[in-house]
Amino acid sequence: MDFKKFLHEKEFVILDGAMGTMLQARGLKTGETPEILNIENPALLTDIHSEYIKAGADIIYANTFGANRYKLSKSGYSVEEIIKAGIRNAKKACEGADVLTALDIGPIGQLLEPSGTLTFEEAYDIYKEQVIAGSDADLIVFETMTDLYEIKAAVLAAKENCDKPVMCTMTFEENMRTFTGCSVSSMALTLEGLGVDAIGVNCSLGPKELYPVVEELCRMTKLPVAVKPNAGLPDPVTNSYNITEAEFASFTEKLVPLGVKLFGGCCGTKPSFITAIKSALIEKTYIKADPVIPSACCTPQKTVLIDRPRIIGERINPTGKKRFKEALLAGDTDYILAQAVEQVKGGADILDVNVGTPGIDEKEMMKRVVKAIQSVADVPLQLDSTNPEVLEAALRVYNGKPIVNSVNGEEKSLKTVLPLVKKYGAAVVGLCLDENGIPKTAEGRFKIAEKILNRALELGIRREDVYIDCLTLTVSAEQEAAMVTLDALERVKNELGLRTVLGVSNISFGLPDRVKISSNFLTMALAKGLDLPIINPNTESMTAAVMAFNVLKGYDGNSMEYIARYGGEIGKSEKTLNDKNAEKGDNDLGYALENGLRSEGARITAELLKSSDPMTIINDILIPTLDKTGSEFEKGKIFLPQLILTAGAAQSCFEVIKEYYAKTGEKAVSKGKIILATVKGDIHDIGKNIVKVLLENYGYEVLDLGKDVPCETVLECAVRENIRLVGLSALMTTTLASMEETIRLLRENKVDCKIMVGGAVLTPEYAKKIGADFYAKDAKESCDIAKKVFESIGNSDC
Amino acid sequence: MQIEKLNRSEAFRYMSTGEGSEGKIKGELLKITEECEQMLLKVIEPRFIYKIFDIKVCENKVNVLNTFLTLKGKDISDHLKGCSRCVLLCVTLSAGVDKLIRTYETEGMEKALVADSLASAAVEQACELAEEEIRSAVGNYGYTWRFSPGYGDFPLDIQEELLKVIDAPKRIGVNVTDSLILIPRKSVTAVIGVSENEVPKGRRGCGSCNMKDRCQYRKNYAHCG
Repeated sequence: MDFKKFLHEKEFVILDGAMGTMLQARGLKTGETPEILNIENPALLTDIHSEYIKAGADIIYANTFGANRYKLSKSGYSVEEIIKAGIRNAKKACEGADVLTALDIGPIGQLLEPSGTLTFEEAYDIYKEQVIAGSDADLIVFETMTDLYEIKAAVLAAKENCDKPVMCTMTFEENMRTFTGCSVSSMALTLEGLGVDAIGVNCSLGPKELYPVVEELCRMTKLPVAVKPNAGLPDPVTNSYNITEAEFASFTEKLVPLGVKLFGGCCGTKPSFITAIKSALIEKTYIKADPVIPSACCTPQKTVLIDRPRIIGERINPTGKKRFKEALLAGDTDYILAQAVEQVKGGADILDVNVGTPGIDEKEMMKRVVKAIQSVADVPLQLDSTNPEVLEAALRVYNGKPIVNSVNGEEKSLKTVLPLVKKYGAAVVGLCLDENGIPKTAEGRFKIAEKILNRALELGIRREDVYIDCLTLTVSAEQEAAMVTLDALERVKNELGLRTVLGVSNISFGLPDRVKISSNFLTMALAKGLDLPIINPNTESMTAAVMAFNVLKGYDGNSMEYIARYGGEIGKSEKTLNDKNAEKGDNDLGYALENGLRSEGARITAELLKSSDPMTIINDILIPTLDKTGSEFEKGKIFLPQLILTAGAAQSCFEVIKEYYAKTGEKAVSKGKIILATVKGDIHDIGKNIVKVLLENYGYEVLDLGKDVPCETVLECAVRENIRLVGLSALMTTTLASMEETIRLLRENKVDCKIMVGGAVLTPEYAKKIGADFYAKDAKESCDIAKKVFESIGNSDC
Repeated sequence: MQIEKLNRSEAFRYMSTGEGSEGKIKGELLKITEECEQMLLKVIEPRFIYKIFDIKVCENKVNVLNTFLTLKGKDISDHLKGCSRCVLLCVTLSAGVDKLIRTYETEGMEKALVADSLASAAVEQACELAEEEIRSAVGNYGYTWRFSPGYGDFPLDIQEELLKVIDAPKRIGVNVTDSLILIPRKSVTAVIGVSENEVPKGRRGCGSCNMKDRCQYRKNYAHCG
């Protein structure tokens, strides 16, 4: 039989129990690599598997949990050797029995970006190697996973390199989350979307403690659910587990009514535990839960249910924004990240991400931006591009369940976009237009919506995952179009039962005081059943319209969210602060900077730009204030946090000036380009980022290569950009070697640049020894060094 | 284990604000500190795991019995002199802290710096709490102070094996990168000696510290612990 038949024909499917526990009982030392035994003691493994089969297991897991390239690196064996042997041992035990062998795969043992240094793509390769080596298994099990991103890489590696069934179990703590913060609903939405065959939980807790986790999981998935609990909780001193076989079976039995199909055991369980479950289940009948899975998208930590209006932030989009285009061309993701964080603070539930602009590699930029936003902002993303290749790249690296923006009624679009939506398990926005453009009537748009829905359903995309955009036209150009949009929306919502989405702002284009029209249109659309308004959440009256609607509709229980936003202390305290500043003199930029008042700094700069030119502001106020705080810092009068506070406030002023330049088309004067990088292997980048802020304030153009930067990337960038100063940072004694290597590479290739280095473990002597030109003891000194370097270049050029 | 309040004065010392500077922190910086502390308290999920092993202390190494682990170096063997057992410990604030600091980096480096320093102080607090719990669980013995990989000649490259032996990746979600950085970042591993006899009340001195030649505190005739 195969796995799918098992699921179909067996009342319950019994999995095996712990392997590690059994091996330790037979003398495996703590910390030893158990997979080596596959080759060095195959009989032992076959014995253990046989015991589990005798106990009643339908599926046994081969001893391949940690058999990956990384964990086996010091074992003397290859991944293929260990995995093939592991499966051979298991298959031998299965001879003559109707039992399946699973290729068992656990976490790599290295954390993925953004927390760790392993990239998603590297993780994929590691799993791919295991999947291919495990070709003799009957199914693949990914278990004990705590990182949704890692398990996504694993599932893609399995799906794209074999056609075996895949089961995934993740490990949750008592707070209903994994160590990396992944929630049960996010796991269910994401993995079911990726098309796995069964999902569940294993390890960490006993069957009693896992009850609420399993309950939640059974509510969020239509897939068969597997549970492999520990034998209770471990004693912290003796490390032994605390429940008996009988207790284990009785707690496990209580999970049946929740809808669990597959049962087994994890740490601390032995064949006797499996016997106990098997006999406890004999009299039981499988109860299929069959819940209704709501419309939702998610990140690992956060699931956004589309059960009431949710705001999609529209700001990450270069259309019509010069400053945004500049940032994209310069590869300045910090600017984009700031926009993301600001929108989330403004009230966005989801962010639309569009980085399409001429002159950049949209695919690469999209991947970079999606990863970067997900590393700082905890909201689901709506991946927005007209290019299917870009969409696929984004879908691949997105962590969670995203929305795709968009498909439309054109045959080409349906054929290319919908299969991607299906493969990666996303939700999709369907635009009511086709080869003939946007229909003038509500009926025409409704028909396209229906067509998109049907095509999606044919591919196995759920109805709940299709969101229809009936398209907003400009009311000043076509006055009757506003009601056509709203009528179509109402029909799509009521007759097709679909979620609706609408870019709202376009309605008021060409009219004065646009927000009045936009916010009223928004309210009308909400009343007709709009679920997902795409707006600028930082435009207060737009967000307010949604907040108010949620109160009036009864979605915002006891108006809590509304009160939290508009009734609290926040508004008041800001006001008093502003009042205080007003007393000090309204437009004292120096005061704002010295006190680290970012928004005040930005406001005053904008004010000053009305009457003075940017260079005057920079040279007469910003630079002298920075110099002053810099020298106070050197004298020990103020300390690092205060220095950075001022630098941060100055940064907000410079941002206003950049916007000004982008609008007027003038070019900001650059004092020189500097590369900054935290070297390969090192991920401590706070110091480097502080240096960046200061250097930028002094007018240098910083090419920030980030952290964990390969030596070759620094070299390549230095050559390409004709760089004269490179700044490198390292914070670990272990990563100083990468610093030395980077310097060596730059010298060897005769790059005509100076190199400054910094970081807590460095000394001036060591800096000299590894061939750096300068040692910067702090951020302030790197500015002095930059000044020295570029002045000398300036002089020699004359 | 729960941390209710962060040790601000310790955090400010990490930011090199000088002795007794906490009182001078006011205005915007104080506001930021308060915000960071509140947010950190929300995301910190302190976790720890430990195991106790019999040990054999030799001249320049310590064998951890029934494991493959050898603690190398003169300093760790001095540290565990007279102990028959040791506790291997790992403490973490968990992954939420890393994400919060990353988010602050996009909002402003001053916030990131303050949050990073507060979190460093918090992991020390978590270690203290973990130690208390361990002592009460293990019983009335003599305990040495916590000695971590990287101190003196106790090599950092033991991190991976140490984590593996106490099952830290699986039990509390702590891993180590190839360049020996613990992830989540605000995590600590340590060795505590357990002795049948009273252990002389020592403390971590500058002698065993790798930073002793370039330490900002020492320059000002102060110390960090």
